[in-house]
Formats: sequence, structure tokens, C-alpha cells
Amino acid sequence: MVGEQCHALRLRLSRPATDAELTARLATAGPWQLWVEHVAAPADSPEARRLGDAELSRPTSAVRCVVLRHGDGVVDLVLVADRAVLDQEGLHDLAATLAAGADGAAGVGRAPTAGSRSAVGEAGTRDVPAPAPSGVAAAPAPDWGGGRRGAVGGETLSLDLADPVDPSALLPALALVLNRYAGHGATGDVTLATDRRGALAHAIPAQSTLAGLRDLVATPTRQPVTVGVVEPGAPVTGAAAGAEYRPCLAPPFPLTLWVRPEASRITAVYRRSHFAPEVVDGFLRHLAHVLGQFVEHPDRPVDEVELLDADERRRVAALGRPATAPTGEPARLTDAFAEVVAARPDAPAVGDGRTSLTYAELDARADLLARGLVARGVAPGDRVGVCLERTTELVVSMLGVLKAGAAYVPTDPAYPADRLAHTTRDAALRLVVTRNPEHPTEDCTTVTPDELVDTSATLGPVELPGAQGPDAPAYVIYTSGSTGRPKGVVVPHRNVVALVDATRDEYGLGPADVWTFFHSGAFDFSVWEIWGSLLTGGRLVVVPYLVSREPDEFRELLERERVTVLSQTPSAFSQLLETDHAALAVRLVVFGGEPLDARMLLRWFDRHPEPECRMVNMFGITETTVHVTAQTLTRELALAGSKSVGPALPGWHLYVADERGRLVPPGVTGEIRVGGAGVALGYLGQPELTAARFTPDPYADGVQYHSGDLGRLRPDGTLEHLGRIDSQVKIRGFRIELDEIRSVLLEDPDVRAAAVVVRRDDPADPATARLDAYVVPAAVDTVGVRKRAATVLPGYMLPATVTALDTLPLTSNGKLDAARLPEPVRAAVVPSAADGAGQDTASVLREIWSTVLGQAVGLDDDFFELGGNSLLAVRISAALRGRGLPPVPLRDLFRTPTIRELAGAGSGA
Amino acid sequence: MRLTGKTVLITGAARGLGRATALACAAEGADLVLLDLCEDLDGVPYPLGTRGQLEHTATLCRKQGVTVLPVACDVRDLDAVERAVALAEDRFGRVDGVVNNAGIAAPSGKPVHEIGEAEWALMIDVDLSGAWRVTRAVAGAMSARRSGSIVNVSSTAGLVGYRHFAGYVAAKHGLIGLTKAAALDYAPTKVRVNAVCPGSVRDDATAEGRMLAEIARALEVQVGEHEQTFTEAQPMNSLIEPEDVAAAVVYLLSDDARQVTGSVLTVDGGFTAR
Repeated sequence: MVGEQCHALRLRLSRPATDAELTARLATAGPWQLWVEHVAAPADSPEARRLGDAELSRPTSAVRCVVLRHGDGVVDLVLVADRAVLDQEGLHDLAATLAAGADGAAGVGRAPTAGSRSAVGEAGTRDVPAPAPSGVAAAPAPDWGGGRRGAVGGETLSLDLADPVDPSALLPALALVLNRYAGHGATGDVTLATDRRGALAHAIPAQSTLAGLRDLVATPTRQPVTVGVVEPGAPVTGAAAGAEYRPCLAPPFPLTLWVRPEASRITAVYRRSHFAPEVVDGFLRHLAHVLGQFVEHPDRPVDEVELLDADERRRVAALGRPATAPTGEPARLTDAFAEVVAARPDAPAVGDGRTSLTYAELDARADLLARGLVARGVAPGDRVGVCLERTTELVVSMLGVLKAGAAYVPTDPAYPADRLAHTTRDAALRLVVTRNPEHPTEDCTTVTPDELVDTSATLGPVELPGAQGPDAPAYVIYTSGSTGRPKGVVVPHRNVVALVDATRDEYGLGPADVWTFFHSGAFDFSVWEIWGSLLTGGRLVVVPYLVSREPDEFRELLERERVTVLSQTPSAFSQLLETDHAALAVRLVVFGGEPLDARMLLRWFDRHPEPECRMVNMFGITETTVHVTAQTLTRELALAGSKSVGPALPGWHLYVADERGRLVPPGVTGEIRVGGAGVALGYLGQPELTAARFTPDPYADGVQYHSGDLGRLRPDGTLEHLGRIDSQVKIRGFRIELDEIRSVLLEDPDVRAAAVVVRRDDPADPATARLDAYVVPAAVDTVGVRKRAATVLPGYMLPATVTALDTLPLTSNGKLDAARLPEPVRAAVVPSAADGAGQDTASVLREIWSTVLGQAVGLDDDFFELGGNSLLAVRISAALRGRGLPPVPLRDLFRTPTIRELAGAGSGA
Repeated sequence: MRLTGKTVLITGAARGLGRATALACAAEGADLVLLDLCEDLDGVPYPLGTRGQLEHTATLCRKQGVTVLPVACDVRDLDAVERAVALAEDRFGRVDGVVNNAGIAAPSGKPVHEIGEAEWALMIDVDLSGAWRVTRAVAGAMSARRSGSIVNVSSTAGLVGYRHFAGYVAAKHGLIGLTKAAALDYAPTKVRVNAVCPGSVRDDATAEGRMLAEIARALEVQVGEHEQTFTEAQPMNSLIEPEDVAAAVVYLLSDDARQVTGSVLTVDGGFTAR
């Protein structure tokens, strides 16, 4: 007696009948009792409706007949039956018998089908009972369903169609829709169930047409099902034709569909634990749209079937656009900056501990530098390299380049010479502002900021060029690319201004704020830090590189400077959390650069409750100007481990598309595409790649960028980010294309084949992530390979280990079988005679290093060779403090990366 | 609406606490199966609930928009109880909650050595065994569905003694014992069994209760005098209203109490706190 096995109908009696007459008619059908309820309210009142609905949803172990006599004289009949006792036809026959009496029943105009008219047996069972859908396992809630965990009960939704449903198209159409809902990377295998036939496996052939899909072969399976169908019986005519039929009182499948052919109506009964109403609503519309194409376009290839019609595409596109409209007009960074200078010339603009500048001073200094650039032949539209440590003069230089009408191309002085040379060549830089004497000069000249200012001073007044439009490039930032070498992303002025406009009001950014400039100028997170501060009148505090790598020193800086706006990668922030951060004045933390596990914020919230400090997770891409979405995190979301990265910023648009570029329904996984105010101009000097990744936005003016990231849009317009489609990964905030590292390894003359994988020593701990490289042949000198790679790759892209193999393990498809790669060979640990015990500091250090690095450590092993990084250095310092020993600053570790040297230095102190 | 979609069976529903509980359940959206003997009993010195009173309770509940099935049933008769439960399941598909409320206050008013064999047996048969029979009839199906709540209406007489009420006190103490034992029997199948212990409940005119009056009569005191005595004995200095008890029953029937079983909830103005 469960709702899944019961069905019900409600029929309004057109001819009055007494209780005695109805009882007599019922007696001709079976041994069931007639229940009579007198309802004072009129039949169509909400109260009477509710009582009737309650009758329709009460299960029974046999058959229940209820007569509802309403205050206005209207009589409704409600019949509920176990499907094993009375099937669909039997239930309608019983209704007709009761409604029309014996005379009417004989004339019910039901198309007789084999077995459908069989009599009701003595014990109330029919001789051909429909089997109940037992033995079908329900699948867990699908990730696209939007269900509410722990919710009980089912709900019902219906959709009326324009045309009657062709029963032979129903299952194929449903299989197709379900296959599309499986999202990115789905195979053609779909499991569906029906109440009569149980679970059925379908394999959708990619080459088929819709007409061909009608012959889709279904084979019985034991796979759990998400969606099932209650098979419709023959069309009902006659006395019971107007009956309202409920195929099941509780959904036998997580999502149960029933199509009433003659009424052209699809009804869905779904479990609330598995589905949100708006998702089921959409599912029905998509099924209807596909069913329509079976009729109108039978020759259409399966692959070209549309899930969404034009209206729905507009609706889904609108879902990815924020409700708040962007404010502000397109403008140049320099013009937006000039407004701030004019408003608050004497307010502090930027400082690095040595040099502090007010807005007016910064403006004047940048003017001088710009004149120096113009004097050296820099013209509007040019690109000028900027390769400086994080300092005030880096900010002056960037602004100066912009004032000269050019775009700046930032690189990090810590990059290997080869990478600097690549950028110089690729961006065709003729001039690079740098203090790095090692900067390659084959293709360009280098100049220091001082020289530029001196030039300007000696030449006297030089006119700065007239204003270019806001569409002109402001900067070119190089990011990892799947083509093997980094590519330059060209971002125009107006994008950065739009980014600040999109966030200024929401986050109350203004002159009272103090920002950090924490990230490398070559990492576009710093674009947000620099211009977010300078365009809102804030004070920008430059964080020197070594301070940015020492959580305790960084915390001191945050306290000393009373920093209010902090931008961090989750990895960096987790280090800050290790410190005593209670006294910080930070009121806004913006996360970016890598996925955030919101649970780590609980420790922060303990000390800094939500009203005091807002935590915002922003998902972004260099190609869309730093950020795309913003999700304010709360203790509630942190406890729930929320994966949402929030809705798009005002002016930015989010789309999620399938492999063919069609929008997918909310909840379904696809490629994230971004349109609107943040889309870059393209890749420098790569028109083909630009044309492939930057395409016209079909739903708005402008261009959309194909991110190559997977995601799903939730019905509320927020995005869930699900990672990279290709091999790109992020380690400690750095975007890394494994193929790029691999291609560098393959450039080594000794290497014939190579593979690079990301592993974690502790799967739960992102700080232990490391790159392991494998090279062929086995005889190769791995130390030499790593050293040569180090001349090309920045530190964060250099594999921690290089292991030589005879061959790389491959899958049957000929792809790398990463799971079968052996454990990496760590840098050799050679215990030397001097490694005796009892060496106090040295033995403590060895013990701690071994624990933190997860391997045996010798006195002369290089910390970085053993896979050490800044995060692990912090742990070593913490462990030392725990034993009452002085911590080892990272800068010491760089200088003296072995225990012998460290212990020697320490014992002298 | 804490009981929407549930069916609750209440014994002794014609009047008094049974009626108040039925109305409270209806107000929370429960469909109701209302049982009462609807006859007088030999050996009980006062008139019991009538068919008219049971129908009146049903009518009041239907006005709350729920469906009601009134059934005349003697809780001393296991067959009759089983028939009533079968009827309830036929009508509503399932019984989610049971309130074992049927009970008699008299014959009482004498010391133990003066109680006759039949008097003793009648008191135990109605006030204790009645609850066992209804529990017996519903617990199997509830266990199979892995859900259900049974509330036994005991009394402060289930916790402390009252002079000259040995049969009643024994039966109500027994009911608490039944509650705890049954709670353990059915805890593994998620069927909950709890007891409510009302103190002295005012005889409400619209509920047509007469328990207090009959207790006073058994003690051969005036109702007003008896009310006065018990008002003073209950530290909150007032009698209990039927709705106060009904609210406790609704709580125990509802999913709010889904981890509450084997408990004894007193609604006695603090009487047993001393």
C-alpha cells in the first residue's frame, strides 16, 4: 500500500445518483465499500478542491471509491487503486460503471485492446495485472537536478503541448533529452525505465536521424534510473473520458513522466530530494521541444536536435546576466585616474616602504616617465615592456606607459631569461623598462625608470600624445596556453574601468581604503589590486616579494599599514590563517586565481565575523579582465562547503554551452563562456586562435570568450565552476598548462617522450601539490633535464621530480595512462658519514624536514630539489616554533637550502 | 500545519480531552479516526460519551477542513479494535498517529481492601488494557512503514499515588510502563511511544468533560471544593485546560518530536515537581 504502486482518478458525475444507486453499481464491479463524504463548501472552492486532492493522494492496498457530495449539489467521484489490482483501463472502466450505471458502462466507448476488458476477479484482482515497477533501483540525485537534500515527498507539474504526443517518439525523445542533460563529455548511453518494462538501457547512435531513433533498441538493465515513464493506456472515451487521472500517487522513479496522448499533456511527478521545480519545468519544455522536432524534422541528425527553443535560449542567456546594470561610461584608465587626481591630489596614492607618493606626485612622476618614453620614440599604440620588482616605480612605470599612449607588457624579473626573451619577441617589444641587467637585449633596448625621467628632464617639455579611445589596449599579459608557449592577452582600457565600476558601489570602494599590491605585475590579479585602488582613491601598499612569501611579515605589514582591502589566492590566504590575524583591520577579502574551498574560511570568521569583514570569492580569467563572477561567502556557505562562485559582475555575461556551442539548460554541465564588458581584444599576433576563442556573442553586442572551463549555471543565475576541460591546472594560484611544460621537456635533445602530472602528497592538502615529470629513455640524465628546463620555465612550472622511464604507459586509445605512471624517483638522498646523530639543531631540522617533505632527508640535500616550496617552508618554521626554536625565514632558505648550511648558520647565533 | 497528510486515531473522542485533542489535531491538518464506546458501562457510576457527542466532535473537526471517520468501538474488545483499525486503513490508507485517551475515573473512592474483583478488572481493562489493544492493532503496520507515533494519555496518577484511587493509579502507572516497554519494542522501526500526564484538568463546558466532577463525586466532595484543593496543589495555582494537554499530544504526534520516544511529559502545573 504505497503511493508508488497506486493510481487514482477524479470524475465529476454528470447525472445525479443516490448513495444506494452508486453502492449497487459498485457491487457489480467488485467487493469494495463506497465512502460518502459531505462537503459543505461548493465543489470548486479551494477548500473542497483541497479535500478532493487529499483523497486523490491517499494510497490503498486494493480499491477505494469515495463520493464527495458538495454543498452546491455537485458530486465528484474519486477512485484510488493499487495498480496490481486495477490497471489504468480497469480504473477508468470502474469510473464509467459508477458514473453511467450498468447501461452506460456497457456502452463505454473505449477501444478494446487485448486483455483490457478482462473482468475484475472475485478477490478484487484482475487476471492480467500490470506489474508494479519493482526491482528498479532509483539513482541518486543527479547533479543537474537542483534537489534539496533530505527533502521528503513528491510534487507534480504538467505541461500542455500544441500537438498530441506520438507514443513511439516518447522514449527516444526522452533518452535524447536525458543524454543532453548528462552534460559535457557524456556518452550516448542512457538508462530509462517504464512501469511495465522496468529499467532499459539505450545507446544513442551519434549518426542517427530522429526518424532512425524511433527504432532505438532498449535492453533490460539493472542500472539505477533517474527518469521513468508510466506507460499510457488506450485513449479513454465515453463516460470516464473527462476523468482527471493520476498515474501514481508517489513517483515510482525519481522523475516519473506520464503522457496523456489524447489530451496532449505531459505530467511529471518528481522527488523533491532529487529535483527543483524549475528544473523539472525546464525538462518538460525541452522534452516537448524535442518531441516537436520528431514530427517536424524527422530527417534531422540527432546531433543537431535543439533542446531549447528561441524563447528559452533568451531566457537562459538572461539568467547569466546580473540583474543590476553596469554603471559608468567607457573610459581610458588615464582619464579615470585624472579624475581621482583632480579630486584628491594630496591623498596618498602608493607606497612601498621606501617611497610614498600622493596622487598628484604619482601623476607628475608618471608624466615625466611618459615624456621620457615619447622622447625615445614610443608612439600611441606601441607596446612597452615593464620588468620591475614590486615597487612604487613599477606603478609609476605602468601609468607612464599608458600616459604615453602605449600598452604595458608586464613581466616578472624572476622569470628565466628564455621566457623573458620569448615575451620580448612575441610582443615585438622595442623598449623594456627594467633594472634587470640580465634582461635579454637581442630584440630590444632596455631602459631604467631613472633614465627615462632623466631623459625627460634634459629634453625639456615634451607633449604627451592626444587621447586615444577607451578601446585601445592598456596592457598585454602573458598566460599559459595549450599551444605550448604563453600567449599575450590584449586588454583595452575600458575593460579595467568597467571592472572597477562593476565593483565600486557593491563593495563600497573609496578613499578610506588601503589595498595591497601583493601579486606579481605579470599576474593579472595585480591589475585588480593596482587599478581597483587607484581608480577609487585608495592607498596602494606595495608588498615586496619576500614579505609576500613570509606570512608573519605579511601580517605585520597588514597591521602596520591598516590594510582594508586584501586580495589573495586561497593558497596564500591559508598561510596567513596560520598566523595570529586577530588584529587585522581588513574589511574586504577578495579571493581569486584558483578554486576556493570555502570551509577553510571558518577559522577566519571565528576572529572576523561577517559584519566586520566581507569575504568575496571571484572566478576570473585573464581573457575576461581579471574577474567574471563574485560570490560573497558567509559562515553558512562555508559550513555547507559551497561551490558557487556567484553571479556575473554587472556588465559581464555568463553562458554555459555544449560542445557545439549551444546553450545548455540551467544545472547542466558545459563550457563556460563569458561575454560583456570584460572580454579582451584577443591574443597578440594570433588571429586564428583569437578567432577560435573569441566569437560573436549571439545574445548581446560584442564578443564572447570560450574559457575552456567547465561549469554549470544554477537556476538562480549563480555559477558553479567545475575545473578545466583540458589539461590546464592551477598550483598555488598559478595557471599551468601541463602541455606547455611537456613541450619544454621535449625540447631537451636527450628527451624523446615526456609526461607531466600533478600529484599531492596529501590528497586533502593543496599545499602539497607538486608537478612530477616523466621522460624517456631510461638512460637520460634527469638532473640535467631538470636543470635545462629551469632555464626556460618559471619556478612554479618547474617539475619537482623528473623520473626516467623506458616507455610511457598508454591506454588502449593511445593516450597517456597517468594512473599507471610509477611513483616518482625523488632527488637522491645519500647519507654521508658526517650525517651522524646527536647534532642538535641539525638532527631536529632533519626530523622536521623529513616529516614536512614526506621523505628521508640528508644534511646536504637541497630543500627545493626535494620538492620544497614556500608553503612547506612555512610549515617548517611553524614546527620549529613549536619546539621553541627560531623559525627559518624563506630568504635564508633561498640562500642556504641545505640543513648543514642552515644548522651551521643557526649554531653561530 | 504540523500534521498535514497524517491520519490520527483517537480513542475516547466523544468529549473532554479526546474532543480537545481531536480539534487540535484537525487544526494541524490531520485527518481523523475518532473512536468512542458511545454507550454506558455496567459498573461505571456515571454516563459515558454518546453517539451524538462523537458526531459533534466529528462535525467540529470537519469544519477545520479535514476528513473524519467516526467509529463506535469498545477498547475492551480486541476484535472490535482490530476492525476499527482495518476500517481506518481502508479509508485513509494508513494510520500515522494514535492517541490512547479512552479511560474511566470510577468506580473509585475506596481503600484497596474494599475494591471488588469486577471493579478492579474493569478499571484495568479500560484504562490499561485498552491502550495495549489499540497499540497491538496498529504497531505492526506502523513498524512496516517505519513511521508512527503513539501517545498514551496517562495522568499524574501514573506518577504518584492518590488516596482511594488504587485501581486508577495502578492502571495509569501501568500505562507508563507499557509506554516505556513499547517504546523499546518499536524504536528500531522508528515507531515512537510516549505518555502525557495531565494534572487536574478543568471540566470545559464546550468539551463536555466531566472527569474532575466524577473524581470529586468519588471522593464525596463538592466540585468547587475539589477544584479549589487541586488549584492550590498545583504550584502554578491554576487548573489545566484541555487545550494544554492537547498541545502536548500534538507535539508528540508531530515530526518535531521525531527523536522523542519512551518519554513521559507532565502537563500538571508543577504538581509532580515537588
